[in-house]
Amino acid sequence: MSAPGWVSLDELRRQPALGLLALDGQHWLLPQADIRSLEPLLDIDPTRRAPGSIGALAFAGAWWPVYGLSGELELLQELPGTRRVCLLLDNGADRFGLVCDRVETLAPPPRLFPVPPCMADAASPLRALALLAAGVGAVTDTECLAARLAALVEHADDD
Amino acid sequence: MTTEQTGQTKARDSVAWLLTLGGDMQAAVGERELLQLVEAPTLLAVPACPAYCRQVLYWNDRLLPALDLAAWLRADVDTSPWHLAGIVACQTEPGAAPLLAALRLAAIPGRLRVSDTQACALPATPAGWSELAVACFRHAGRAMPVLDLPCLLAGSLLRVVR
Repeated sequence: MSAPGWVSLDELRRQPALGLLALDGQHWLLPQADIRSLEPLLDIDPTRRAPGSIGALAFAGAWWPVYGLSGELELLQELPGTRRVCLLLDNGADRFGLVCDRVETLAPPPRLFPVPPCMADAASPLRALALLAAGVGAVTDTECLAARLAALVEHADDD
Repeated sequence: MTTEQTGQTKARDSVAWLLTLGGDMQAAVGERELLQLVEAPTLLAVPACPAYCRQVLYWNDRLLPALDLAAWLRADVDTSPWHLAGIVACQTEPGAAPLLAALRLAAIPGRLRVSDTQACALPATPAGWSELAVACFRHAGRAMPVLDLPCLLAGSLLRVVR
């Protein structure tokens, strides 16, 4: 189910650390190396809106579009009161912010399991599963999230 | 004289497990496809997955997809706790690593012997059996679909638009 160019399970397993993003009680994990910064929500400028975004945040001399996603990775136009922090993600090709309830670093990372093929197709943001004390973590990466956001924004435009 | 010379084929018998998926929905799997039953399984939620398969079961050092095929057939979501899971396994091709899953069951499976002469058409309702089953046989006056586990566990339902 891997799409060309997306991070493979083996690559994810070689990551020295994973970032854990809590969204509505769901746990999403991605390579810690993709996390550029954590910023306060107050710094988001809601007047600078790219399509689908909730605003933008100035960082390192650029405006980063910021998005709100639910625990199911659906686009949110209004943020739940549980969102506390803005995570800036940068993998060299994609740069954006994501508001989260909580962010942690898991180092060493938890053991990763392959996603059963009946649970996700190539368009899914799921790249692996992780067994955590709090349940199962869904592992993704910044490129997957960027593709998901692009698809959601395009779908929202169609509506 | 062989069956080829007579043009006749001897009916074959095989053993199957009859699974109650939920309500009055029953289906069969091959004798070797059902590995184990787990009572009151602890399922772990996974986000961004299809409605019929939103949880996994940690079993024998693996995370198995937990499929609720009755919910898929009804096109709804049943969030009530599972009382029983059947661990099933299959191969998509010879030599391939087995695919495993947990199926939601509503009753202890029954073991029965099935003959080719019992073959019949799939039930007309609920719609969707043709996406789940590879064959069907008549038992106790009812049509019993035979689950196509290799296709199901390889993700065939992800491509079904309902």
